[in-house]
Amino acid sequence: MKMTKIYEGAHQWVMFGRDENKPDNIIDSNQYIVRTANKCLLLEPGGTELFAPMMAAVLHHAPVEQITDLFASHQDPDVISSLGLWDQALSNAKLHAPALWEGYIRHFGCESIEYVPIPDNGETIKLESVELQIIPAHYLHSPCNFHVYDPQAKILMTGSVGSAWESAGAPVFVERFDTHVEKMRYYHQRWMPSNQAKRAWIDRVRNLDIDIIAPQHGRMFKGDDVKRFLDWFDALQVGTGI
Amino acid sequence: MNSQTKSQFIAVASITSELSAVMVVAKEISLAAANAKAIAFRAGDKAKGFQPITDFINELAKETIELVTKINVYAILLYRLTVDEYRRTAAYNRFEQALKLANTNGARYADSMLDPTAHAKTVMQDCQRQFKRDVTQLLGQLEAVMHHARAARVIAANSRIEASQAGEYLQSLQAVAESVDKAAHTIHDNVQRCRIALSIYRNS
Repeated sequence: MKMTKIYEGAHQWVMFGRDENKPDNIIDSNQYIVRTANKCLLLEPGGTELFAPMMAAVLHHAPVEQITDLFASHQDPDVISSLGLWDQALSNAKLHAPALWEGYIRHFGCESIEYVPIPDNGETIKLESVELQIIPAHYLHSPCNFHVYDPQAKILMTGSVGSAWESAGAPVFVERFDTHVEKMRYYHQRWMPSNQAKRAWIDRVRNLDIDIIAPQHGRMFKGDDVKRFLDWFDALQVGTGI
Repeated sequence: MNSQTKSQFIAVASITSELSAVMVVAKEISLAAANAKAIAFRAGDKAKGFQPITDFINELAKETIELVTKINVYAILLYRLTVDEYRRTAAYNRFEQALKLANTNGARYADSMLDPTAHAKTVMQDCQRQFKRDVTQLLGQLEAVMHHARAARVIAANSRIEASQAGEYLQSLQAVAESVDKAAHTIHDNVQRCRIALSIYRNS
């Protein structure tokens, strides 16, 4: 599992992904942690198959008892099917996940972890002195979907938005936006169902000060590529599966 | 999921299926008892010896139904325990894998996984022991149903003897005896299949 520190300040952000040992027939995914002095938030913990390498990788940054919070943007198995395993490993943790999906996500196993339902209009997660904003991103692609914005680190974790299918050895940041577009186009057109939802999300996030867009699959966007991505997505017609 | 776990799931799930067939048959015996009672009543003195047998048949059918109902509840609990054991075992295996990976790669906090892994192992072993205890208990309950099936076959044999003295009612009462005997065979065979499927998991 590759680990890349993407923010280092009073707290840290680390991106995990490109696991070389993952089975070929499951999609590669990015996981993130936000690490403060005594706590660790795991964003998009991943699927069951990734649990062991992910746990082993997180143990480079935090002891298991300090993994206190998990976040799932939506209900998909590549996002959170490992929940039943985290549930047995963590003794004192909370899962922040959409209220609408609670009854569904609990199918993965959630007995000891406290499920903190996120209301439709979002909320904030407080991790010691760090306040993370939970931004609504409904219908992108899931009907109840959230992203995480860190105003200090200026990172927006966007779940499925900005995702692309990449090989295990791909770089973690977009290097040439114009060629990267082709890796994203079909995914966004087919997975994202609503131009109206896309418009509402873009209007909301254009007001945020963002250095890095961090999606759940593929490469992250930084610097000028953030605006390039928003402009590209804004112009894209989605919902083409009908 | 390994083949032993698959077999365990199949064995536990098959109990409910076999027992639902037993339930149908036990209800048939109950009906046969009611039918026999009516025939014996019409036959009067000619079926005098048959009349108390009908009560035995009815009682046996009622007890079998009650027993199977209880076993079914128990079988559902055993199925839940099987699911739990599967989850616990999967977790323990993944924790061990994570610990090994963390140690191999020199993760700074690898040792913090020692306690969760040890705990997962204890819980998994508790589940396995509980499963064996519950299987042993279930086998005991299934033995009680087998005992009822054997008793039904004895009653069927007695019914045949009594039917032979019932004159023009002989055929009707023999049919009752046959249906009880057939039902007893079916119950015996179905329950025996459950016992064979479960016996490899019992406490030694």
